[in-house]
Amino acid sequence: MLVKLAWRNLWRNKLRTGILLSAIVFGLVGVIAMMGFITGMYSNMIQNGIAWQTSQLQIHHPRYLDDPRLEAVLDQPDPLLKALAQEPRIAARSGRFIADGMVASARATRGIQINGVSPADETAVTPLAEAVIHGQWLDEQGRNPVLVSSKTAERLKLQIGSKVVLTFTDVDGDVAGAAFRVRGIFKTPASGFDDGNLFVRHSDLTALAGLEGIHEIAIRLVEQDHQELELLDDVRSELQALAGDVNQVRDWRQIQPMLASILGQIGVSNAIILGIYVTAMAFGIVNILLMSVFERTREFGVLMAVGMQKHKIFALLLLESAWLGIVGGGLGLLIASGLIALLQHTGISLGAMADGLAAFGVDTLFYPEVSASDYRLVFITVVIASLFAALYPARQILKQTPVSAMAEKH
Amino acid sequence: MSIHTQQLSKTYNPDSDFPVQAIKPLDLTIEQGEFVAVMGPSGSGKTTLLNMLGGIDPPSGGAVLIDGEDLCQLDQKALIAFRRDHVGFIFQDYSLLPVLTALENVEFVMQLQGHKEAECRARAEQLLTEVGLKDQIHKIPAKLSGGQQQRVAVARALAPRPRFVMADEPTANLDAQSTKELLDIMERLNQQEGTTFIFSTHDPRVITRAKRVIVFEDGQLTEDRRQQPEHAA
Repeated sequence: MLVKLAWRNLWRNKLRTGILLSAIVFGLVGVIAMMGFITGMYSNMIQNGIAWQTSQLQIHHPRYLDDPRLEAVLDQPDPLLKALAQEPRIAARSGRFIADGMVASARATRGIQINGVSPADETAVTPLAEAVIHGQWLDEQGRNPVLVSSKTAERLKLQIGSKVVLTFTDVDGDVAGAAFRVRGIFKTPASGFDDGNLFVRHSDLTALAGLEGIHEIAIRLVEQDHQELELLDDVRSELQALAGDVNQVRDWRQIQPMLASILGQIGVSNAIILGIYVTAMAFGIVNILLMSVFERTREFGVLMAVGMQKHKIFALLLLESAWLGIVGGGLGLLIASGLIALLQHTGISLGAMADGLAAFGVDTLFYPEVSASDYRLVFITVVIASLFAALYPARQILKQTPVSAMAEKH
Repeated sequence: MSIHTQQLSKTYNPDSDFPVQAIKPLDLTIEQGEFVAVMGPSGSGKTTLLNMLGGIDPPSGGAVLIDGEDLCQLDQKALIAFRRDHVGFIFQDYSLLPVLTALENVEFVMQLQGHKEAECRARAEQLLTEVGLKDQIHKIPAKLSGGQQQRVAVARALAPRPRFVMADEPTANLDAQSTKELLDIMERLNQQEGTTFIFSTHDPRVITRAKRVIVFEDGQLTEDRRQQPEHAA
C-alpha cells in the first residue's frame, strides 16, 4: 500500500511532477550524451595512439630505450619474431629498423624518423596501408621507395615519384645517405605522428646503414579492447619470458604514459559531470518534496494520529522520492540510449575542428561510447541521490507532533 | 475499557507571558460503550480534551488512565500502538487520503495494524456497506459528497476495531439529512460493536442524540448530565 500511495502522491500535482521529471530526463540525456562524447573522443585518441604509434606491445633492447642509437638492436631478433608468430594471442608483429635522420628535397630539408619496415608485416600491425591517400603502399618492387606523410609532402613540395635524399649517421659515425622516390603519401589522424615519420623498406635501410637487425618489434594482439588491462599485463609477462633477459617488453601504457593517463581521466571527467548533475537534480527533488510535504502537513498529522509509525511516514517520503528517481532516471536512460545508439550509427562529425583534433590524434568522425556499466552507474546514482534528497523534507515532517502537524494550514 | 482523567489539564505556551489554560484540572470517567457529546462554545477546550483522551496531545498536568494505565507514561512507540489499536478518529474536515479510494482509505488503517490484505478488504467492504456506501467503494474522496466522505471517515475510524472513537465536530460541515444519517450510523455501530463514541459538537441536533452530555466553558467542566436520547423519526 505504501508503494501505491507514494506513486499516487507523486501525481497529485501532475504539472509540478511533470516539470521536474522533464528536467531530470533532459538533464540525464545531456549528461549521458556528454559522457558518451568524452568517452568516445578519449577512446578514439587511445585507439589511434595504439593503432598508429605504439601498438599494444613493443619489444626493444634496453640500450635503445636509454639512447636510441643505431647499434642498439634487439638480441636474436629472428627466433623471437618466429616465436611471436606462433603465439595464439598475438594477431601480428612487425620488426622495425629505426634511424633518426634528415629528409631533403630540392626545396627543403627536415629532421625525421626513418622507419625501415617489412611491408607485409607492417600492414598486419598498423593500418598504415589504408592511410595512403596518394600512390601506393610499399612493396618489394622497385628501388628505394619511400612513403611520406601529406604534411611532409606539402612542406617539401613532394609528389608521387619525387626524389628525396635520406641521410643519417651510421654505426661508424659517418653520414650515410641515399636517394629514394616517393611511392605513396599517407595521412593519419595524428598530425604529430605524420610530421615526424616516414617509411622505407627494412632491407633498403639496413643496407644503407651497413647493419642487420631490428630496433623494435611492434605487436598487435587478437584482443583489441584497450580497456582489457589485466589481459595486457598477462600477455606482457608471458612475452617477457619469451623475449629473454636482454630484450624488454613494454605495453602501450608504459610507452605512452600520457595516453594511459587518459584512461583514468575518462572516469574522473564522467564522475564530475555526473556529480554536478545529480547534485542539481537532488536540489530540484528537495524543492519539489518540500513543497509537497508542506502542502500535506495536516495529512501527515492525521496519519500519525491514526497510528502510522514515523518510520513508515519516512518510508513513504523515501518512496515518493525514489519513484521520481526511478521514473526520471528510467525515461532519461531510455531516451539517452536511443540517442547514443543513433550517434553510434551515424558518428559525430567534427570536420570543422580537424586541425585541432589531429593535434590530439582524434578522428574527425568518432563514435560516442556508453557502456552498460555506465548506464547502470548513472541509474543507481540518480536513484540514490533521489533517496538522499528526501531526507531533509522527511525531517521537516517527522519532527512534528500529530497535533502540531494537524494545526498547520496550507 | 474505561477512560478516567485525574486532574487533567492543558496549558498552551506555559513559559510565555501569556499562557493559555485550555483545560483546567479535570476529573472525568467515561465507561466502555458510552455515547458522549462534549459541547461548548468555540475555544472552550473540546478539541483539546478529545486530543488528550485520544493520546495525540500530551497533557500539561494530571493523567489520562485507560483501564488504570496512564497514557502519559507510555513511550512514543507504545503511544502510537495505543492509538492505532484502540482509538478511532473522525475529523471535521473528514481528513481522508485524497489519492486513495474509499475502500483503500479504510483498508489502510487496518494494514497499519499488520492485518492480511484479504482480511482488510473484507472488513473494509463490510463497514462501507454498513455506512451505506456499498456502491461507492472504488471512488476517491473528491468524487463523494461531504456526507459520504464523513461516512468513509466513520468506517475508517471503526476498521481497526477501536475501543474509543474520538469525533471532533463530525457534523460541522454536513447538511441536516447527512447529519441525521451519520448519527444513525454512529448510534448503530455504538450499539452493535460496543464502541465508545466521544464527540465534540455545538450542533443541537447532535446533542439531543447523545446519552451523556458534558459541557465545557473556558476550559472548565460546567455540566455533566445523562439524558434519554431522542431518536430520529
